[in-house]
Amino acid sequence: MVNEINFDTVIAAIEDEIGCDCEPYGGMINEEALRIPVDHLQSVIRVLRDQFGCYHLSTITAQERENQPGEVELIYHFWQGKGISLMISVPLESPQVESILSLISGADFYEREVAELYGVTFTGREETPPLLLPDNWDLGPPFIRREETDE
Amino acid sequence: MNKITIPIGPHHPLLKEPLSMKIDIAGERVLGASLRLGYVHRGIEKLALERTYVQDVHLIERICGICSHVHTTTFCLAVEALLGIEVPPRAQYIRALMCELERVHSHLLWLGILAKHVGLETVFMHTWHDRELALDIMEGVSGGRVSHAANQIGGVRFDLSEEQEAMIRENVEKLKTQVGGVLDVIENEPALRARTQGVAPVSVELIKDYCVVGPVARASGVDIDLRRDDPWPPYDQLDFKVITLPDGDAWARTLIRALETRESLRLCETIMHKMPDGPVTVRAPRKVPEGEVVTRSEAPRGEVVYYLRSNGSDKPARLKVRTPTLAVLSLLPEQLSAIHVADIPVVLAGIDLCIACADR
Amino acid sequence: MQFIKGLFFLLIFPGLSFQVVCGLAFEWIDRKLLARFQRRVGPPWYQPLADLIKLFSKEDIMPEGAYDLVETLLPLISLSAVLTAGLYIPIAGFTPFSFEGDLIVIQFLMSVPTLAYYLAGIASVGIYSLLGGGRSLLQFFSYEVPLLITISGPAVMAGSWSIAEISRSQLDQGPFIVFQPLGFILAVVGLIGKLKRDPLDIPSASSEVVGGSLTEFTGAKLGFWHLVMNIQAVVGIFLLANLYLGWSNITSPLPAIGIFVLECLAVVVVLSATSAVFARLRIDQLAGIGWKILVPLSLLQLGFVILMGV
Repeated sequence: MVNEINFDTVIAAIEDEIGCDCEPYGGMINEEALRIPVDHLQSVIRVLRDQFGCYHLSTITAQERENQPGEVELIYHFWQGKGISLMISVPLESPQVESILSLISGADFYEREVAELYGVTFTGREETPPLLLPDNWDLGPPFIRREETDE
Repeated sequence: MNKITIPIGPHHPLLKEPLSMKIDIAGERVLGASLRLGYVHRGIEKLALERTYVQDVHLIERICGICSHVHTTTFCLAVEALLGIEVPPRAQYIRALMCELERVHSHLLWLGILAKHVGLETVFMHTWHDRELALDIMEGVSGGRVSHAANQIGGVRFDLSEEQEAMIRENVEKLKTQVGGVLDVIENEPALRARTQGVAPVSVELIKDYCVVGPVARASGVDIDLRRDDPWPPYDQLDFKVITLPDGDAWARTLIRALETRESLRLCETIMHKMPDGPVTVRAPRKVPEGEVVTRSEAPRGEVVYYLRSNGSDKPARLKVRTPTLAVLSLLPEQLSAIHVADIPVVLAGIDLCIACADR
Repeated sequence: MQFIKGLFFLLIFPGLSFQVVCGLAFEWIDRKLLARFQRRVGPPWYQPLADLIKLFSKEDIMPEGAYDLVETLLPLISLSAVLTAGLYIPIAGFTPFSFEGDLIVIQFLMSVPTLAYYLAGIASVGIYSLLGGGRSLLQFFSYEVPLLITISGPAVMAGSWSIAEISRSQLDQGPFIVFQPLGFILAVVGLIGKLKRDPLDIPSASSEVVGGSLTEFTGAKLGFWHLVMNIQAVVGIFLLANLYLGWSNITSPLPAIGIFVLECLAVVVVLSATSAVFARLRIDQLAGIGWKILVPLSLLQLGFVILMGV
């Protein structure tokens, strides 16, 4: 049996421990979501894991929102009884995020996928070799919107 | 002893789908392994953005051949959550029935493959023969053995008639007897036990660190099953056991799926017993209002996660699929170190790979 | 006239043609039995012949770096070895070539295919071939010693090293299987190991080493290996039928043939049943079983036979 995680306690704990302002994002159905600054990603995950025993990372979603151009948003979906997501945004010109591989070994494949599909660089870990795309893929990250050229 | 690297895949008798592994061995011991996915990457996530939601249901079904129904179910649940519509109870029960039948046929398929790789071809032939009973049910109600196209946004595509319900009950009874026999063989066959017991044990800490899901996690004692812990209706009204085993070796991974098959068949009976009458679908608008949603389901191999964002049009703005095999595969290089070469098929069969799911 | 008679024995009966036909018949019976154990229909009677013809008509490809002459010679040498071995085994009491000591010669000749299999793996250069070849040699060391010790049992009991003599003496003493049931079981296990059948098909375990030594073989070369495997099986079955079941040396030919056929079928059924029922062993498990269980048991059986004779 799983102890369901309590969203309000989580926010309180994060604000206590790290003191960053994380804004709850109400737009995600079935999931509690939290916007956090990029630099605090590792510390928030540490709080979740150590204080709440929330270790299960379901996946990392990357997307570009139409109403936020020039930014790549990464959503880290965690789950403990119910889902809790952490949202961070990085600018498109220099998409760099600190890797959480040292905290969660299972994040390897998800980070590699985001790296090759969205061109995000994960710092603090060795090179992200391609996971799904072929070795000779030279057309750039396929999910990033770019000028459509007819070739 | 010299170190040599044997390639397993992309084409290999062990693998149903292409996957490239380079395994370093010295004599008969494995030193390490490295993985390369992507041979069946079809770009489903990007393709989904260019199709309408209705077309996407058919696209999503083809992510995987074995667990196609649970993928479309999770997707439809996501879209229905965004639309804010409630699926009628009879449709929920039919969806659950197909999910459980899929679990049964997937586990029997996997069991045959494991037996074949260990040299027990007889068990392989028998389990696949029994699997035909499950496939007959699915074909009888939906018209397709593996691709059922059972789901549509708003409900299911077909209803069950009286004869079909009788046929389902009869086949489930037959399957229960057959699966009981198979379970007997697994528990008592000495050679199978000798090949799998004590092989590649996985500790709970490793499971949690690699975020492994599904029967592999439950075989190591982690008590998580999304059907009970994060259910979509009707699972919250159904009573069933979640099976865990403490050892975490290949034997536990073998036994747990056989036990889960039996439990799924009992669940099928409960579903048939409790199925309410009523319509099987509601009208769903084509344009989905803006919003985002995360849905989870328990596929035969573990947790399936869908993240869907819509921007008010009839095509999705972002679809992200995470299949259970991807989570389990990250543990594979770790599992493959320090075992015998002859245990490689046992370990691979124990994780029940579905590469098409992992690659999308 | 002697020359024509000799040619007849060599090429027609009990030589080449007879053994090839028996080999194909054995393969069919085996596959059909296995299929029936597995709730399948099984192939029609002409399937093994069709497979052989198909193999001989396929293109012959070898990987770069493989030793082509060696690859061609190995299956042919093995084939001639097993065919020669078959000449000395009484078929329903009839054997034109038997001599004192032919049991030992046959054991030697029957080991030639195993060594050739190993060499084929080395000569093929591919990774899977090397692994398969290495495993076949490891397996050879595990089953050959108990097999040799066990086979000596009937020889001691009959007081002769000629198979025809051993078979004939069972008319007086009764079938040796009655006195040496353990020996029969051990001999069957040894035969399964020699033939590389399930549960001892470790060298060619398809899920681990794809095809073992024969991974890179195609066309006629593979066809010859196929024949070698089948004829080796047939010779082994004839040997076991003669050593442990005997009784086919009675004077009237028709009953003799009938009894012999029944005996051979019994051995085939035992082989197919074990093939269907057991899972494949791991090579270290086999080595353990071979030296810790099979060798002591075979010594025990031999000791018992010697004591009985005294």
